[in-house]
Amino acid sequence: MNLEDYRTVFAAGCLVLMLIAAAPTLGLIVPFPSGGERFSEFWVLGPNRMAEDYPFNVRANESYSVFVGVGNHMGVSLYYLVYVKFRNQTQPIPSATSSEPSSLAPLYEFRAFVRDAGDWEARVTFGFSNVSLYGDSVSVNLVTINGEAFTVDAFSKWDSERSGFYYQLFFELWLYDQASRSFIFDNRFVSTWLNVTT
Amino acid sequence: MSGLKLSLVLVMFLVLASQFFISETFAEASKDVAASALTDAEGVVASAYQAVLRAEAAGANVSGLLVRLTEAGGFLANARMAYKSGDFEEAASFANSSRNIGVEVENAADELKDSAFFERVQRMWFMMTGSIFGVILVFFGSFWVWRVFKRRYYGRVLGMKPEVSPNES
Repeated sequence: MNLEDYRTVFAAGCLVLMLIAAAPTLGLIVPFPSGGERFSEFWVLGPNRMAEDYPFNVRANESYSVFVGVGNHMGVSLYYLVYVKFRNQTQPIPSATSSEPSSLAPLYEFRAFVRDAGDWEARVTFGFSNVSLYGDSVSVNLVTINGEAFTVDAFSKWDSERSGFYYQLFFELWLYDQASRSFIFDNRFVSTWLNVTT
Repeated sequence: MSGLKLSLVLVMFLVLASQFFISETFAEASKDVAASALTDAEGVVASAYQAVLRAEAAGANVSGLLVRLTEAGGFLANARMAYKSGDFEEAASFANSSRNIGVEVENAADELKDSAFFERVQRMWFMMTGSIFGVILVFFGSFWVWRVFKRRYYGRVLGMKPEVSPNES
């Protein structure tokens, strides 16, 4: 190795050291892309905060609980709105293909502000009263969620395939949109099926 | 006598009817008050959220403010549900609680943003000074090291003595 070769190696080494020394300032000027997919998580868990033991066979005048949660991976703090809705098998659910929420009126709502990489969870205690059996139909007229009573008018016919009177308690995720200054449906919903008996 | 009875009945009817109209008017008024409080609270909470986003963008730690805002959101949700169920007094009360927290958060977020901006500028100056000092140090240091290296290299080369092997002579 002659002196010219040493000079080249030495100059390269010095350049690398200079770049290392200038890295903090370069970091302020050069924008580095933050990798990773941006999305919101949305989940419903059973009463023990596990994905098991979901309430299914529910009776009138008894209370049950689940946990609903949101995880923020959008890179910025977000303002979420969670609507709680109740339907029978024939009433509309949100459409994933057209990103439309269910047209049913929400019974209950949660609002949460979640920082990036953070999450939020709330217990939802619910029960049914004024439940009547009419031949092959069950009628639910009062739903209680977290102590608030809501009048509903939901009939369910006997489902002979699955042997029950089926209803669905579902949760829609909405996001606050700064541009329109309103909430928009985030095209995510989670639910739990319930077989309601008197 | 019958005229007296008739006027008494009429007065009683008017008193009862006026009670009905007064309560209806009060109900309408409290509904308007609740609706106005709700709209106001929603605007204040949204505005506070935007202030928090600005503080976050400036590099402030906004975790505590988000917890307070979630509290405000809870009151707002309760206000909306109370309004839907016709309990306008409770709706207005919840909406006002939500609004108060929103105002408090917005002020705190603005203060946090200012202090975060100041800290950021300070940190930037510190980093820039450090970087410039580092680059200058590397630049002149490398010259010095190169000179020392070159001197030793020539010394080593000049110190070499040519040797003649017996086969070549």
